[in-house]
Amino acid sequence: MYQIPRAEWYDLTRTTNWTYSYVTEEEMFPEEMSGARGIPIEEWETYDEPYKVSYPEYVAIQREKDAGAYSVKAALERDAYVDRADPGWISTMIAHYGAIAVNEYAASLAEGRMARFAKAPGNRNMATFGTLDENRHGQIQLFFPHANIKRSRQWDWAHKAMQTNDWASIAARAFFDDIMLCRDAVAVSIMLTFGFETGFTNMQFLGLAADASEAGDHTFASLISSVQTDEARHAQQGGPSLKILIANGHKEEAQKLVDVSIWRAWKLFSVLTGPIMDYYTPLEHRSQSFKEFMVEWIIIQFERQLADLGLDAPWFWDDLTNDLDVTHHGMHMGVWYWRPTVWWNPAAGAGPEDRKWLEEKYPGWNKTFGKCWDVITDNLNNGREDLTLPETLPYVCNMSQLPIVGTPGDEWNVQDYPLEFEGRLYHFGSKADRWCFEQDPERYKEHQNLIDRFLAGQIQPADLPGALAYMGLGPGEMGQDAHDYAWAAAFKKQAKVA
Amino acid sequence: MAAFPINSNFQGDFVMQLVPVDTEDTMDQVAEKCAYHSVGRRVAPQPDKVMRVRLHNASEYFPRDMKVSDASWRPTETLDIIFADQ
Repeated sequence: MYQIPRAEWYDLTRTTNWTYSYVTEEEMFPEEMSGARGIPIEEWETYDEPYKVSYPEYVAIQREKDAGAYSVKAALERDAYVDRADPGWISTMIAHYGAIAVNEYAASLAEGRMARFAKAPGNRNMATFGTLDENRHGQIQLFFPHANIKRSRQWDWAHKAMQTNDWASIAARAFFDDIMLCRDAVAVSIMLTFGFETGFTNMQFLGLAADASEAGDHTFASLISSVQTDEARHAQQGGPSLKILIANGHKEEAQKLVDVSIWRAWKLFSVLTGPIMDYYTPLEHRSQSFKEFMVEWIIIQFERQLADLGLDAPWFWDDLTNDLDVTHHGMHMGVWYWRPTVWWNPAAGAGPEDRKWLEEKYPGWNKTFGKCWDVITDNLNNGREDLTLPETLPYVCNMSQLPIVGTPGDEWNVQDYPLEFEGRLYHFGSKADRWCFEQDPERYKEHQNLIDRFLAGQIQPADLPGALAYMGLGPGEMGQDAHDYAWAAAFKKQAKVA
Repeated sequence: MAAFPINSNFQGDFVMQLVPVDTEDTMDQVAEKCAYHSVGRRVAPQPDKVMRVRLHNASEYFPRDMKVSDASWRPTETLDIIFADQ
C-alpha cells in the first residue's frame, strides 16, 4: 500500500485543533489548567516544537531502547555486579532510585496535564509522548532495583521512599509538586521541561551514566542512558512556550517561572547529585567534579539558552555560582552525620586520598569542611562513634525543605534568611529560597517543614527515635557509613607509618 | 519554666540545628546546650574561650546571666553562639 511521506502529513496532524460547539473555550481549556494567560488560541497554535516524531516512529524507537536496556540487565544479572561493586556506588544507585523512580510517575501526570490542557496543539502532541516516556521511566527504575531486594531492604525504597515522610522525600515532593503537579500546562512546560529537565536531569543522568560506565556498572549505565534520550526530546517543550509568552508581553512572568524552577532544582540536586559525584563515586571512577558538571551543564548551558530566548540570567546567578563551592559539601556532611535518617548508606568520601582530590577541586576545602571532618575522624579513631551520630534535628529551610548549611571552619559563614509572614516565622537557607516564597506566599505558606511538624507535636515521641519512626525507617533500612569507617582508619595507618 | 525551641548557629559548624532550651536558662546555659550538639562533634573545643550568645548577625552579645524569658525571642529564633575572649 502506498504510504504518504511523513513530511506531507505531519504538520497537518500535529497542529490539528478541536472545533468545539457544545462547550466554550473556557470550559474546554479552564485557565487554571491551561494557563493561557489571556493569549489568544491562534497564538498558541504557532507553537513550534523543535523535535518532531510520529507515533509509529516513537513506538519503534522506544521498543529498541527497552529491548537494549532490559537485555543488558538480563545478560549481566548472573555476573552479580552488585555483589562486588564498591559500597559507595551501591549507595549511589539506592539513593537515585528512591529519589527518582516514583517521581517519574508523577511526571507522567504533569505531561498528561499538557497533553490535555495545553492550548498549543504541538505541545499536546509532544506531551502525549512525554506521558508515555515518564511512565516507562517509572517502570524501568522500579523494575531494575527490585531484583536487588534480596540483597538489602534499602533497595525497596525505590518504591517506598516517596510514600514516606523521610526528610529527603518531603524535600523531593515539595519541589516536584510545586513545579509539575500544582501548575497549569504552560507553567509545567517551562518549569518542568525547560527549568528542570534541560539542565538538571541532563546532569544527573549523563553524569551518572559516565560514572556508571567508569565503575563498570553497564546495567545502570544503559538504563539511565535509555531514560536520558527521552528526556532530551521532551525537555524541548518549554522553549516554544517561552517564545510565545515573551512575544505576547509576558516576559517578566516567563523569567520568574524559569528562575523559581532553576533555583529549586539546584537546591534539590545539591543534596542528591552533589554528594554522589564528589563523595560516593569511588575516586578512581569520578569523571568530573560536581562543580565542573554544574558549570558545564547548568551555568554555561542555561546562560546560552536564556540569551537565545531573550531572557536574562536569573538574578541569583552569582549566588548560585558561589554556592557551587559550598552547598553540596554541607548537604553531604548533613546526610552523612544524620545517616540513620536516610535509606542509603552514605559514603563519607573523606579519606586521605579523597581529601587531596577535594582540596584540588575545591581549594580551601581542608580549612573549611575539612575542619569538621577532622573532628569526626578523630572521634571515630578514638572509639567515640557516638559523637558522630545526631541527637537533634538540623534546622530545615521552609522552601527547599533541606538543612540550612554554609561554610564551616576558619571561614565560618552560615546564614539564615528569616521572614515573618502573617505572624509565622519562616527560615530560609538562602536569599533565593526566601525570594521564591515571596513570589507566591499563598502557594507555600501553609506547608510545614519537618521542624514545624516536630514542634507541632506530629512526631511522637518527640525525640530522634520518634523522628526515625515518623520517617518510616525500620531496622535494615537506616543508613550506616558505607565503608564501615575504613576511610577514617586510613588516617591512623598513615600516622603509624609516619 | 517552659521548653523553648531555638535555631542554633554555632561558630565553626556547617549547619543550623534545632535546640530545645528552657525559659529559665541563662545565656551561658543556652550556649552549653547548643555546644552539646556541635562542640566535640564537628567543632573543635576552645577551652580558653567563653561561649557567648547573640541574635543572628547582631553585633552585641546578650549578658551571660540574662534569662531566656527576658530576651524577647520568638520561638525558633536564630542565635549565633560565638567563641569570645570574655
